[in-house]
Amino acid sequence: MLVAEVEGLSKRYGTVQALDRVDVAIEPGCTGLVGSNGAGKSTLIKLLLGLLAPDQGRANVLGHDVAADPLAVRARVGYLPEGACLPTDVTAADFVAFMAQLGGLPPRPARERAAEVCYQVGLDEERYRAIGGFSTGMQQRVKLAVALVHDPRLLLLDEPTDGMDPQGREDMLDLIARVRGELGIDVLVSTHLLGDVERVCDRVVMVHGGHVLAQGSIAEVAGTTEPGFGIQLAGNGPEVLAALAAAGLEVRPSGDDLLVQGSSDLVRDVAAERGWPLRRMVPRAPSLEETFLRLQAAQGGPVPPVQPAPPTPEAAWGVRR
Amino acid sequence: MSELSSPAGTIYDRGYRHYEGPREGRGRRVRAIAAAGVRRVLGLKRNWKTKVVPFALLVLAFGPVFAFIGARVLVGEAVGEFLGYGRYLRIVAGLLLLFAATAGPELLCPDRRQNVLALIFTRPVTRADYLVAKLAALLAVVGLIALVPLVVLFIGNTLTADSAATYLRQNLDDLGRILVAGTVLTVFYSVVALAAASLTDRRAVATAGLLGVFLGTSALANILFFTARFEGRRWVAFLSLGSLPGRFVDWLFGEGFDPGTLADQAGFTGPGYLVAMAAVAAVAGAVLTWRVLRLRA
Repeated sequence: MLVAEVEGLSKRYGTVQALDRVDVAIEPGCTGLVGSNGAGKSTLIKLLLGLLAPDQGRANVLGHDVAADPLAVRARVGYLPEGACLPTDVTAADFVAFMAQLGGLPPRPARERAAEVCYQVGLDEERYRAIGGFSTGMQQRVKLAVALVHDPRLLLLDEPTDGMDPQGREDMLDLIARVRGELGIDVLVSTHLLGDVERVCDRVVMVHGGHVLAQGSIAEVAGTTEPGFGIQLAGNGPEVLAALAAAGLEVRPSGDDLLVQGSSDLVRDVAAERGWPLRRMVPRAPSLEETFLRLQAAQGGPVPPVQPAPPTPEAAWGVRR
Repeated sequence: MSELSSPAGTIYDRGYRHYEGPREGRGRRVRAIAAAGVRRVLGLKRNWKTKVVPFALLVLAFGPVFAFIGARVLVGEAVGEFLGYGRYLRIVAGLLLLFAATAGPELLCPDRRQNVLALIFTRPVTRADYLVAKLAALLAVVGLIALVPLVVLFIGNTLTADSAATYLRQNLDDLGRILVAGTVLTVFYSVVALAAASLTDRRAVATAGLLGVFLGTSALANILFFTARFEGRRWVAFLSLGSLPGRFVDWLFGEGFDPGTLADQAGFTGPGYLVAMAAVAAVAGAVLTWRVLRLRA
């Protein structure tokens, strides 16, 4: 049974078409909702929660029609919103218990469960401190505790690692993996960090400009891109791109390299004909990033790219595993 | 060597467990928001600075009452008469305005300013639930000042009278007036204060705005009445929002208006001021409802 399903969903803000006749099927497990800023990820999540009314189309979450019964959906869904949304002068324990009561728990079980969930997300003694003094990472943990405290069947996490340092990001990704693995709660993670998706999700939905580019298991989606080569040829300048394209190769910038798809012999021939030094040429396995960039380019239009994962704490501190 | 008869410790499984207990309905959610609102307004479970204003106002409202009852207990009826119920309620009305002007914004503004609504409305909570809960919270705390001190005073007067039964029989009307006046003032100040708070997400702006309108309209009404000469100028008595509750209370308790004042010369009686308060509360209620039902998560 699908956890959530949307058909022909559209939403427009003024002149901006945030979502355009989108069809998405969210299966049990952990699904990544990937797209650059402004792709329509947060809009899709708010439509799933019934916080926004669609211009057309329908959404169904956990067997409930969102438009007909949004309160039933919200009773069974936990939501971690993007950005600041916590009261500053209340303790984490009190606020999480309050949110448990809004989920229908009586006061005493709400307090007990708030304490348990705070412990589970890594807020033990800190839960008795006012939230205003918390770091970004601790505030994200409070938001996760709020999302979990009423024991939802589905978690919607909107940019859960946003603004966190490398260690905090690792901890949050571990928590998300635990939520799915140990708690058995289905998760939809919205992010623009492809590395986060590859780390914790087993399925992915790619959105761009209000359209769904691809959806399926990570292996399926990444497998739609052929293997290629990362090269550094001369200065990787525009004339290099033009020459490789003229030779019939599919080529685009990717970090410090040019990503080339096609025969490696053709790369060699171009380098030899022009007398350009070929400084680097390494095989690149298909990845979500390559797939996303390819699909995004096929969609057309100048767009901000999604970001690869920030460095892990080990990489950030120069520590080898 | 002693034998261990009981385990030295217990291992608890603190792993995540699903919640299998009861789940309550809409009433619980409304009560939870209202209770959190009352705690917030009184500064409970928050730092000491947030308790100063509400508890200072509570001391001002209750202090004289308890002092008088204590004196009656110690000295008996020889201590004399307390201020009349109406006079005391007029003084309390000033405190009510201050209290509502700080408590109303405290209830509504931080939720919007700190974007907490993004979490509250992702629970099964409707805008109407939120509005009812916030209004209930403010009615409870404003009612605490408007009703409870005078009811306590009435009970104290009854119990310390030479004959409690006689006092009760002769002054039962006063208890009715206390309840009516306290309820009217509670509803009036609560609705108007929340309406002001719904117009901005800054507490200080809402408080200053509400006090400014109440005091400013009173000054304006007096200036217009005593300096301008135009047909029907007595109607400006209803412009004076800050004076409406006091005039109603004066009429209800038969105190009469102070000679030479606008209220005295305008010639209106209590029901007129009650209707004016009802009209102001209706407009404020409409504004409040319109604003809250359009809140975005």
